[in-house]
Amino acid sequence: MDFSLTDEQRRMKETVGGFFEDEGGVELARRQMDGEEGVVDEVWDAVAEMDYTALTVPVEQGGLGDGMLYLALFLEEAGRYATPGPFAETLGFAVPLIDELGTEEQKKAYLTEVADGEGRFSVALHDDVNETPPETVTMEAKVTDDGYVFDGTKPLVPYADEVDSLVVATKTRDESGYGGISLFVVDTADVETTPVETLDSTRPLYEVEFDGLTLDEDALLGSLHGGGDALRRGIDRLNVCGSAMLVGGADEAVERSAQHGNEREQYGHPVGRFQAVKHRITDMWMNMQGARSLVYNAAWRLENDAQDAPRAVASAAAFTTEECSNVFGDDIFNHGGMGFTWDHDAHIFLKQARTWETFLGTPEEHRERVAEARLS
Amino acid sequence: MLDRFTERTMDLEYTQEQEEFRHELRDWYEENLPDGWLEGERNIPEDKDEREQFLRDWQRKLHEGGWAGVHWPEEYGGRGATLVEQLIFNEEKARVDPPPSISVIGTDFVGPTLIAAGTEEQKERFVPHILDGEEVWCQGYSEPESGSDLASLQCEAIDEGDTYRINGQKIWTSYAHYADWCFLLVRTDKSGPKHHGITAVLVDMNQDGVDYEPIDQIVDDSTFNHVYFDDAVAKKENVVGDIDDGWRVAMKLSAFERSALTQAFALEKSFDELVEYCKNTKRDGKPLSEHTTVRQELAELDTRIQAGKLTYYRNISKQMKTGEPGPEGSMDKVFTGEIKQDLERFKTKLLGPESAVWDEGSPGGEWQTDYLQSFGTQIAGGTPDIQRNIIAERVLGLPKDAKQ
Repeated sequence: MDFSLTDEQRRMKETVGGFFEDEGGVELARRQMDGEEGVVDEVWDAVAEMDYTALTVPVEQGGLGDGMLYLALFLEEAGRYATPGPFAETLGFAVPLIDELGTEEQKKAYLTEVADGEGRFSVALHDDVNETPPETVTMEAKVTDDGYVFDGTKPLVPYADEVDSLVVATKTRDESGYGGISLFVVDTADVETTPVETLDSTRPLYEVEFDGLTLDEDALLGSLHGGGDALRRGIDRLNVCGSAMLVGGADEAVERSAQHGNEREQYGHPVGRFQAVKHRITDMWMNMQGARSLVYNAAWRLENDAQDAPRAVASAAAFTTEECSNVFGDDIFNHGGMGFTWDHDAHIFLKQARTWETFLGTPEEHRERVAEARLS
Repeated sequence: MLDRFTERTMDLEYTQEQEEFRHELRDWYEENLPDGWLEGERNIPEDKDEREQFLRDWQRKLHEGGWAGVHWPEEYGGRGATLVEQLIFNEEKARVDPPPSISVIGTDFVGPTLIAAGTEEQKERFVPHILDGEEVWCQGYSEPESGSDLASLQCEAIDEGDTYRINGQKIWTSYAHYADWCFLLVRTDKSGPKHHGITAVLVDMNQDGVDYEPIDQIVDDSTFNHVYFDDAVAKKENVVGDIDDGWRVAMKLSAFERSALTQAFALEKSFDELVEYCKNTKRDGKPLSEHTTVRQELAELDTRIQAGKLTYYRNISKQMKTGEPGPEGSMDKVFTGEIKQDLERFKTKLLGPESAVWDEGSPGGEWQTDYLQSFGTQIAGGTPDIQRNIIAERVLGLPKDAKQ
């Protein structure tokens, strides 16, 4: 039993943190929020230069072959600065999924490109903006003699304009009515995208329209009708990625609040001397640590195909999204009126946390999964 | 390219050897626990003297089995267990919930402190009788006027050559009603700052100058006491560490105290029992475990328990590598203490109106006691407010509270 990071993992984390700080830290997120073009390209190129885009790509495809735990550590550091870019979607969702389901040709085509920094992915999962996938995947890919025909709209696709390809979740059925979930890789050049006004503008969302797009067998990822389980695992990975980013942001928020508590003086004392402030910061720190433990545990269990991985993911996602939202909210309170201004960083993270809190399962839905696992 | 080399990596499973340690302990418990204990018949005598005899017998059994001081060095009769083995020991202990250890102050706090800071004579005289239960210890710290601000303590020791004459009062002293010896903090110098002039001394409880009076607690029990020192005598050779330097010795002791405690495993056991109750108890025609609100609450408690336990693991793992507990260790008491209280409160609410019944035979009676007890557990050894101050100041570098 050893639940600590290795020296090498700790060094990697420090290096990555320093790297994102040197690249501009939270300034990158701000430029993205201001609508500047090309920020994701700039970040991605720099990350590729460091070989970090190769993190989860298997060695055979020119990658570094690391697993979820390593990725979680990387994302914690990216999340420290709310760094924009489809890291979770590409490295956490698409790469392991293609590695698991893809044909040799697909792996060669997509994974090598990701490793080289030439390929970016996102995910088109939702069909109804009020429902959580995968149970509610409804968009049909019609199985015809000409190929698979896509008609419909995916309303919440992150980074659609900033990536090369999408993994699209669809419903398929054969003539007898038998069917299931099928996953496809779709080139973003073949779809219509419309930006959505988002709460978290570091992570843009798009409405993606499929207008009779017809694709052949090469686009199908894994078996026809048989993508449900893999999709569920992919969503689990994505949730852990999102949570890992929030933990990094929360760590930074604790530091920001602690620094303010030391520097800001009122009534002749640094405000961090008053227990109302001091204890609130302590609670932020404790909940951040609890979230970090749950995230590392979930990542480790996913990486090691542990049977109880889904429960670990659900716990991590429920706790992290809720508690980190509270951490960022408390960061606002600690800074008083300044915390409520656009110029202060706390709201960037709060909006990110509140988005992850419901994007792929609400805390209540995650908890129901925990209950299912504990009570059956 | 990233710099990488092979190194033992994170592993949340136990090794074969560690599992064998667990099984050895399990087998021992099965053979040695009082008859019926594992089946739930936990009969500890009510009468004070019989109770004391029962607990001392249990301590002797633990000692004979080699389980009294798993974390103690082998040369002092301990098992020299690694931190992971100690963790397994604590897990298993939570699982079987054995009779309480009457020597806990000695084994977990006084013994390790004497081993670290005591004289050779003190080690030889006191340490062997801690493990075998021959001598029971208490610790005299808090005073009526010195609670959270412990360093302001006033219990006075007058220098009389080879001895001290002690006058004053201690409060919240657990085990004083059984104890043979007390690890006592006294004031030996009033002239300097309050942290200076405190001395740690070992005091014989069986003398005319020492008296105690049990304190009635909200759980309708009295496990701690007032202790009165009225011209009590302590030998100077029983001073631990240097004279006037007892604050430092005491802080060392409290470091042992903090790393010895976690409620995480007991929480898991308590939660498992709650799950069984919810599966087997119907409300509105269906098991509680099928009520949405109950499921949500159970899942939230389970998640918080896991967060607490995993953070504890993370701290212990760090301590194994560096020899020092990590900052995560500081949160264990507050974090798991609050979960415990919420868990017990939730249990009593599940009972509905029956929650009003506080009878020893009923599950609700026990649960109400556990709920009430959770206040005491959180306050003992430093209130949640004090623990938060410690984390804020030592871990997060926030300004110290206003102090005189």
